[in-house]
Amino acid sequence: MIGFGASLAYAGFVAMCLAMERHHEQVFRTRAVPPRRRRLLSVLGWLLLVASVLAMVSASGWGLGLVLWAGILTATAIPLSILLTYAPRMALMLAAAPLPAGLALLLSVP
Amino acid sequence: MARIGPSFRSVASLRVRLPPDTERRRLGGLLLRSLAGIGGGYALAALATVVLSLSLPLARSEAVLAATMASFAVHAAAIIWAFAARSALRAVTGLVTGAALLTLIHLVVQGQLP
Amino acid sequence: MKEGFRQSMAWLHRWAGLLVGWVLFAVFLTGTAAYLRPEISYWMRPELALSRPGPADAEVAVRAMQAMAPNSPSWFINLPDERDTTLRVFWREPGARGRGFREAVLDPATGRTVEARETLGGEFFYRFHFQLHYVGVLWGRWIVSICAMFMLVAIVSGIITHRRIFADFFTFRPGKGQRSWLDGHNICAVLALPYHLMITYTGLVLFMLMVMPWGIDRAYPGGRAAFNAEAFGSAPPRPRAGNAAPLSPVLPLVQEAERRWGGGRVGRIVVANPGDANATIQLVRADSERISYNPQSLTFDGPTGALIQDSGEGHPVAEVRGWMYGLHIGRFAGPLLRALFILSGLAGTAMVATGCVLWATKTRQQAARQGRVGFGTHLLEHLNVATIAGLPLAMAAFFWANRLLPAGMPQRADWEVHVFFATWGLCLIHPLFRRGRQAWIEQFAIGALAFALLPLLNVLVTQRHLLATLSEGDHVRAGFDLGLLGCALMLGALAWKVARHRPAPASSRVPSSIPRPGRSVEAAR
Repeated sequence: MIGFGASLAYAGFVAMCLAMERHHEQVFRTRAVPPRRRRLLSVLGWLLLVASVLAMVSASGWGLGLVLWAGILTATAIPLSILLTYAPRMALMLAAAPLPAGLALLLSVP
Repeated sequence: MARIGPSFRSVASLRVRLPPDTERRRLGGLLLRSLAGIGGGYALAALATVVLSLSLPLARSEAVLAATMASFAVHAAAIIWAFAARSALRAVTGLVTGAALLTLIHLVVQGQLP
Repeated sequence: MKEGFRQSMAWLHRWAGLLVGWVLFAVFLTGTAAYLRPEISYWMRPELALSRPGPADAEVAVRAMQAMAPNSPSWFINLPDERDTTLRVFWREPGARGRGFREAVLDPATGRTVEARETLGGEFFYRFHFQLHYVGVLWGRWIVSICAMFMLVAIVSGIITHRRIFADFFTFRPGKGQRSWLDGHNICAVLALPYHLMITYTGLVLFMLMVMPWGIDRAYPGGRAAFNAEAFGSAPPRPRAGNAAPLSPVLPLVQEAERRWGGGRVGRIVVANPGDANATIQLVRADSERISYNPQSLTFDGPTGALIQDSGEGHPVAEVRGWMYGLHIGRFAGPLLRALFILSGLAGTAMVATGCVLWATKTRQQAARQGRVGFGTHLLEHLNVATIAGLPLAMAAFFWANRLLPAGMPQRADWEVHVFFATWGLCLIHPLFRRGRQAWIEQFAIGALAFALLPLLNVLVTQRHLLATLSEGDHVRAGFDLGLLGCALMLGALAWKVARHRPAPASSRVPSSIPRPGRSVEAAR
């Protein structure tokens, strides 16, 4: 569950990044982000972050869950900023991580 | 001067070079703000702690803890205010007003108690 | 007016950060190390065998204390857990004043004291990060508290100054001199901002009654004992009766406590006036169990074992304070969360370091523009090297001293600390004889080497080297050795990075009024 939450937070950050011109350029080589897509991406980003809070809280309760979440945000955002600089494509691909993580979670819960 | 020099220039370099008289006034202003923020801010935070400790509608120990925990936010806010105010004089006036207000609250609350 | 406001916030941010930056760096780095306090202490006492906590530990410890210190006014028994597997006891010497404590580590199987080398272990980093060393305890705490206040102001003014940091959230542009340092500073600051705010504010709260005593002094003119009783429900100490009475068995009390706490564990046992008719036995709940560090405790009558006082969850505000306390020391954190705390702590360390370097870079740039490099610039760069590169090296030296100083040496624990500071002092002198980046490269490289060789040194001078600990299942020691190699890698990477750095053609010599964006300015030259 915690791994799933972390992957959601990462994906949320990636979505938010893609809504920003500078980071969009890093990944897609163009600064132009269509306004509608930008809005969609940033809403998606926030939704994913909210989902990751919920995952953390359901895994460890409110107190511990929120503390864990704050730590996970740092632990996912720092690698993302490094990847965006040195391996932007990889940064994008890793955003798909919630899929396998969620699948693993579903399979592990009887 | 050797230590203050570079930083001061870094702020000043963004502006037109100031005549020495204005520079001295700016330096004086910064000094006054620092004193007001650090010393005055601490005094204000201490005053707020005392007033809140005695007047928060909580158990005595709870009020003391709450007031003391909040005091650092008061101090930080006072320092920020001291540097955010438009002029150094305004900064000082603001802090004094705050202190006066706290004292007033204190007197009112204490006066109501038998 | 808006610009003036931003500028004065920038001024405040820079000066608040700079004035205490070096202290903050040391506090952050040693504080981060303090998350591993039990692990460091365990590693630094290779004589201790791997033991597992058992149900009889409390009983063993009490019997051992009855034999060792029957006349002591108070015993403190720290029960082992998964992290700190040692059974450690402290007691006050009869008739001692102040903090006259003695300490021993017991073998949980036999109750005999285990002879281990004299060392402060992880306790040193822990204590240093809030009260420094060589200055009085109170002085140190005041200095660190004042620095923490500066830090709080630097954080708040930093957020106001660099509002754009939230837009530039993930931006890192390497190889662009000052710009890159600024990006790095922003990343370390923003991405762990909740942690930085939390750790700074809660750090202030830890010593709030020392720094801000005015509220409690006015509300409790009679002294703090009344406050402690009201706020934390701590029982007032019972005076010694003077007639002897045997202590009740402790195991049933421990079981009673665990029942009351719904399976919660006892972490510490405090016995006051053992052997006296007025003895008390206080069982304190383990601090790894709840975030809040408002220790729940049960106090029993010593001779009869009857419950005297149950300090429960505490009042709401006291509980908030307990949360702040607990969040700061992070003892509730399991392995994952502890790793995240350490990561955030390192981000904070890097934030302070990049801030200091950024400032030096800026100053150097300005000095170059004006054609003369003043004493201030040199001092700044010099102190940056000695603090940022020197401290990790000094920490490695501390570990070396632990392994190499003879076991029976008088004041051995103190000498380990002296070696730490002597090494740090050498790091302060060393840049005087080196030009430019050479000092950075050498100190980082020596630090890397010192960390990398520690596991090897272990093979030579102790039985607890990596091969033995791995096969024995002693994960703490094995993990610690691997962690040392990790530190070596990190420092090595830094040394390599600085050495490989090619400054762009010294554009500072080219007369130019516009700072060019691509200009590379190195950290310290």
